[in-house]
Amino acid sequence: MDVDLLAQAAVSGLLIGGLYATMAMGISLSWGALKIINLAHFTFILLGAYLTYQLTTTFGIDPFLMIVVVFPLFFVAGALLQVFFEWAKVDEFRSLLISFGLFIIFTSLVRTVWTADFRRISSEDNPYASASIFIGGVALQVPLIAAFIAAVVIAVGTSLALSHTHFGRAVRAVVQDAEMARAFGIDPRRVAVILSGLATAYSGLAGVFIAMFQVLSPTMTFAWFGIVFSVVILGGLGSPYGALGAGIIVGVVAGVASVVWGPLSAPLVTFLLLIAALLFRPSGLFRRSPA
Amino acid sequence: MRRERGIVPRFLILLAVFALVAAACSSSDDTTTTAAAAAATTTTAAEAATTTTSESSSEPIVVGGSLALTGFLAPTAAIHKVAGDLFVETLNESGGLLGRPVVWEPLDDESVPDQAAAIYERVISEDGVDLIMGPYGTGTITAAMAVAEREGFVYPHHTASLTYVYTYACHFPTWPTGIETNITNPNLVYDALEESGNPPETIAFVMNEFPGTQYIGYGPPGSDAGGAISEAEKRGWDVVAEINFPTGTSDWAPIAAEIAAADPDFIYVGAIGVDGTNLLVALDAIGYVPRGHFYQWPAPGPLLGAPNSEGAFSVTTFEPHSPFTDAAEPAAISEAFSTAAAAAGIPYTAFEAQASVSWAAWQVLIAGVEGAGSLDQQEICDWLINNEVETIIGTIDFDPAQQNYYGDLTKIKQIQNGQFVVVSPSEFAAPGAEPQL
Repeated sequence: MDVDLLAQAAVSGLLIGGLYATMAMGISLSWGALKIINLAHFTFILLGAYLTYQLTTTFGIDPFLMIVVVFPLFFVAGALLQVFFEWAKVDEFRSLLISFGLFIIFTSLVRTVWTADFRRISSEDNPYASASIFIGGVALQVPLIAAFIAAVVIAVGTSLALSHTHFGRAVRAVVQDAEMARAFGIDPRRVAVILSGLATAYSGLAGVFIAMFQVLSPTMTFAWFGIVFSVVILGGLGSPYGALGAGIIVGVVAGVASVVWGPLSAPLVTFLLLIAALLFRPSGLFRRSPA
Repeated sequence: MRRERGIVPRFLILLAVFALVAAACSSSDDTTTTAAAAAATTTTAAEAATTTTSESSSEPIVVGGSLALTGFLAPTAAIHKVAGDLFVETLNESGGLLGRPVVWEPLDDESVPDQAAAIYERVISEDGVDLIMGPYGTGTITAAMAVAEREGFVYPHHTASLTYVYTYACHFPTWPTGIETNITNPNLVYDALEESGNPPETIAFVMNEFPGTQYIGYGPPGSDAGGAISEAEKRGWDVVAEINFPTGTSDWAPIAAEIAAADPDFIYVGAIGVDGTNLLVALDAIGYVPRGHFYQWPAPGPLLGAPNSEGAFSVTTFEPHSPFTDAAEPAAISEAFSTAAAAAGIPYTAFEAQASVSWAAWQVLIAGVEGAGSLDQQEICDWLINNEVETIIGTIDFDPAQQNYYGDLTKIKQIQNGQFVVVSPSEFAAPGAEPQL
């Protein structure tokens, strides 16, 4: 086995693991802290990607600048979604049903607006698609570097916020006992709205990176379910560091398996790893965050 | 975090209903009414489906069927929807079929074979359609064919790749790759490479695990007939890599790295959809430029825009250039399709492989009905078996001895100067175009 080939596979897996972590972070936070299994996150990723495609193609905006457009926009969207969930008094199980309905609605919306056909940002509007930085003989794809950095920043920032800020203490208090937290002057609904906004913003951010190097179609979300839920479960619900670590593990394992045993083995190896890990660490490989 | 104060099923029910209605209404710009409803509202349905109807107010002929209006096959099925709608519109403008207008309102099979089979069962046995047109895609066509056979309906179809599987006497394929696609198709590619004067010495295979591409690569399961790989070895080319990947692969970096490590003269990619585009992006990301490459069934628009796609080969049945458009009719069809595709929001509007086989399927169906002079399924079937049909992809002579296949009419095209042009066989090549490797 060519060492350079293994190195390339491992490095590429590491970087795409960052993207997986960014994709999974929102669901992990939502599920772990809000007790909402929000399948609509997948369509938020999709919407983030299509929005990036459309604005970049129409106005020539640099794809990286879409981060400052998508993040606040999706924060608001996520906050409004949580307001709806609060109003409808949605619990964990019903959140699965309702968010699945939202998933269908938003996917149909994407298909209606952009048709079912493939969309890709042109090379003229997106010079980053196959741009790489080379270290030794190993190529590091620029969009994936950005996704990895974003994942690290999100994981570190979110964990620090949850453990060292008043908001973070409020989140932990509400997760432990909402009524008691309320008695101490913490508004659980406000906490949930902000957290949902953050989770949705993370999903939109993942969509920005995906649009930079992948061809888009409304049905591409279905390919993400297995990977993202693997990362969420492997990392432990509500754990930003867990999502980052799990994303990296999944990316590297799948990448190395692809070159050692062939690409067909990658999903098998990844899910065997998931099963094995859960047998020994049912709550995930990494300790859950204080939230 | 929240205390449930009681079940609020009304909201859930409302939301679920809204989701279903939204999904149903937004699945297509066209109304997806049932075939029965279309037949019931005769004049209204006919007017809705056509721009101008024949002066006859007779009951329309209803063609039933499905298409992948949603699901993973939808991007390409959209092309077949446009082609089919345009064909029906054109047909009705010229007097319809047997003096009657034609109505075609495909239902959404959501790219699911079981769904397609259920739809065909319904439109035949419940809605009582007069004719059927096959759906898009190998899986759905295969599933629906069983229904057509059981019900005794003539079954024209355009995109089923597992040619060795289909034994129904009245199935009429316009996917023109012949009964030995695994042998003829790759050899057409290899002949083109030989014609370039610089054939490869080493070749790598990157094959989607989709059954159609696996068939081309390895031959029918359980058979030692071989396919693209063994045919390459017969030509003395050294196979330096053989990579099979799952459908829907999103991480192409390992595959790209493996190809770069093997460094073949030519890469044969058993690609569907955007596989080729994603692979080229991944290869470019690691600084590798393929010296020669081929993509089996790519989405042409994204492939044209992919990095280093110049020189990529693929297969086709029609391209919008001479000699295909030398005659007025195909030229007009090509132009009309492009206009309709643009109106439908399809990014790549060229009338090429997918649209042409779709058009040909309709030509076969109409020729059969007109030849038989009736809507009797057996008479239509018999007529098609015993007569040639002139189609936009060539003359089709269905041969029962070959399970109604008729040889390989595939042409080889290549991206030259940013455009797909046919380069082989030479009689179909664009003026001045030759395979370049």
